[in-house]
Amino acid sequence: MSELPPDPPRNVLPDLIIPGLALAFAIYYLTTITEVPWIAQASAVLVSGLLLLSIFAFAIRTAYRLKAGTEIIRLSGLIPDQNLLLKRLVLLCLMIAYVWFLEDLGFTLSTFVFLILAILLLSSLANWKKALAIALAASVIGYVVFIFVFETRFPKGPIERTIEEMRDGN
Amino acid sequence: MEIDLSVLPSLFVEALAYWWVIIPATVLGIVVGAIPGFSAANTIIILLPLTLSMSAEAGMIFMVAIYTASRLGAGIPAILVNIPGTAGAAATPLDGYPMSISGRGQQALAISFTASVFGGLLTTLMALILIPWLSQVAFHLHSVEMIVVMLFGISLIATISADDTMKGLIAGLFGLMIGYIGADVVYEAPRGTFGFLELYDKVPLIPALVGLFAISEAFVVIERRVVLSESDDGIKVAPGWSATLEGIRDTLVRWKHVVWTGMLGLVIGVIPGAGAAIASFVAYQQSRIFSKTPELYGTGHVEGLIAPESANNGVTSGTLIPLLIIGVPGGATAAIMAVVLEYHGVQFGPDLFESNPLVGYGPFVAMAITYVLLGLLILPLTRYFSNVLVVPTIYIAPIIIAFTLVGSFVPRAYVFDMGVAIVFGIIGYIARKTGYHVAAILIGVILGPLLENFFLRALRISQGDLMTLFSSNIGNVLWVLLIASLFAAPLKRRLAGR
Repeated sequence: MSELPPDPPRNVLPDLIIPGLALAFAIYYLTTITEVPWIAQASAVLVSGLLLLSIFAFAIRTAYRLKAGTEIIRLSGLIPDQNLLLKRLVLLCLMIAYVWFLEDLGFTLSTFVFLILAILLLSSLANWKKALAIALAASVIGYVVFIFVFETRFPKGPIERTIEEMRDGN
Repeated sequence: MEIDLSVLPSLFVEALAYWWVIIPATVLGIVVGAIPGFSAANTIIILLPLTLSMSAEAGMIFMVAIYTASRLGAGIPAILVNIPGTAGAAATPLDGYPMSISGRGQQALAISFTASVFGGLLTTLMALILIPWLSQVAFHLHSVEMIVVMLFGISLIATISADDTMKGLIAGLFGLMIGYIGADVVYEAPRGTFGFLELYDKVPLIPALVGLFAISEAFVVIERRVVLSESDDGIKVAPGWSATLEGIRDTLVRWKHVVWTGMLGLVIGVIPGAGAAIASFVAYQQSRIFSKTPELYGTGHVEGLIAPESANNGVTSGTLIPLLIIGVPGGATAAIMAVVLEYHGVQFGPDLFESNPLVGYGPFVAMAITYVLLGLLILPLTRYFSNVLVVPTIYIAPIIIAFTLVGSFVPRAYVFDMGVAIVFGIIGYIARKTGYHVAAILIGVILGPLLENFFLRALRISQGDLMTLFSSNIGNVLWVLLIASLFAAPLKRRLAGR
């Protein structure tokens, strides 16, 4: 009976990002409480201590597994699908732009523009008619439900203001 | 406190006369609950002009119906697209979403609705009977006991991350540190705010929830053609009754599970500040500890879905008990209800149940009616809701991002909060891709401010003596239970292995 080949070592580099962020934030946080009385520091010091201890234990475990050869650290192959990564980065930029322009353009217009661009991006520019229809339907439904019916505090832009003026008869 | 329960039948009849308030509030509550960022509390605030124009009785029944229905509605996006509608549903996707992506979305929704309706109905009726005794729970829990209750919550962090406890701890403690951001409540010194004034008032919870669950999930889901996993992509999600009936049956045969997790939620709901998020995670953890198949949790296990849904609906009635009896609201929504009732001149306390039984008992009676209505209204719709799973992700991901991002703007009307949601979205995406549980981070963010407040209060009362943490008998019993719950699961596994 032939034995199964051992699993290839797993790249552990991505697993270190969250502990790295947590470590950096804990250190930053501790620098901001040096002026506070001890009683107000105690809880944060305790939790950050536990966090640092956990990260230390994780580092020890990782080092042990690296030595045992079950895990490796390498940069190559870190991003399996470059095309998808590019789409995510562009989507992130679109989200930032959406947030940036929301107060000026208002909910309806900025949502319409965001949706049409995001759908075109994810569908690789295919079927622009469907993208247009969905973006239009979603932003109009959003306006009717949230702004017109529930009067939610959504940012108002030229479209919302024009409709308000028409409703008020000005 | 003696309460006359003989008035209840007539109260049910009186409350039914408010059907014109209950039905629209139930529909509104389901919609509101299903949209992340639109909590029942915010909706009640938005509708305050309407509520205040009603009588105290009608206003109370209206608010309670919205609250109850929103709790149930929050499970819909949690199960279908891995985005809890509210923090109280944050434990629901742990088993609900794996069921959905394996083609059992309709069944999962039916389980969630049945557990919510039966758990909620049962705990509401229990609350009516147990009001005098449950109200005593709140009197016995002070800062020290609350610290241990919070630590119970933190212990969940390790246990919900079945794959890697160490990663679970790091994620949870990272979340706790994030929850500590903001100005100190006593000395008002800003801590960890990166200089942003908007963070002085703590990290806003809704943007954190939107980012960790919605944004990060949208980034992940675009890898697939539809929400269903690639292996189950071919499964036909056709409207039919069989999966709904199967879900109802799956829940009803586990009625004991619905009962005890619902009761756990009811008791936790009585504790001011604990809330549905803690209750649902505590119920999930306890359910897993006492399960014969703990290894199935997190893979789409029926009991893992029943526990949080029954518990978070149990909280709904529990949270009103301290409000009505001692005037201390158990949560944000109860606090808003208190404001409305005080506006109508309602005096809280045991006398309320004699002086105005419809306001005293009315919330629970209205809740019971709402749960019956919810069952009749929503169960037939499960077969249509689950069609979301076959909508192409190129359409659903941008819509999720747009609507949840704006949802994170609503509570405080700060554009800054949308930025917070994006930052949490990036953290959540990295966490998901590298095996850190986003729910663990969220528990930390929720518990951080609570733990800090109770810790600070306990230390100030004891003049800085850390031994105060072991100064209470109830606290010490809770410590023992906490340690026992941490070691119960590994011990059970070891004994089973022998």
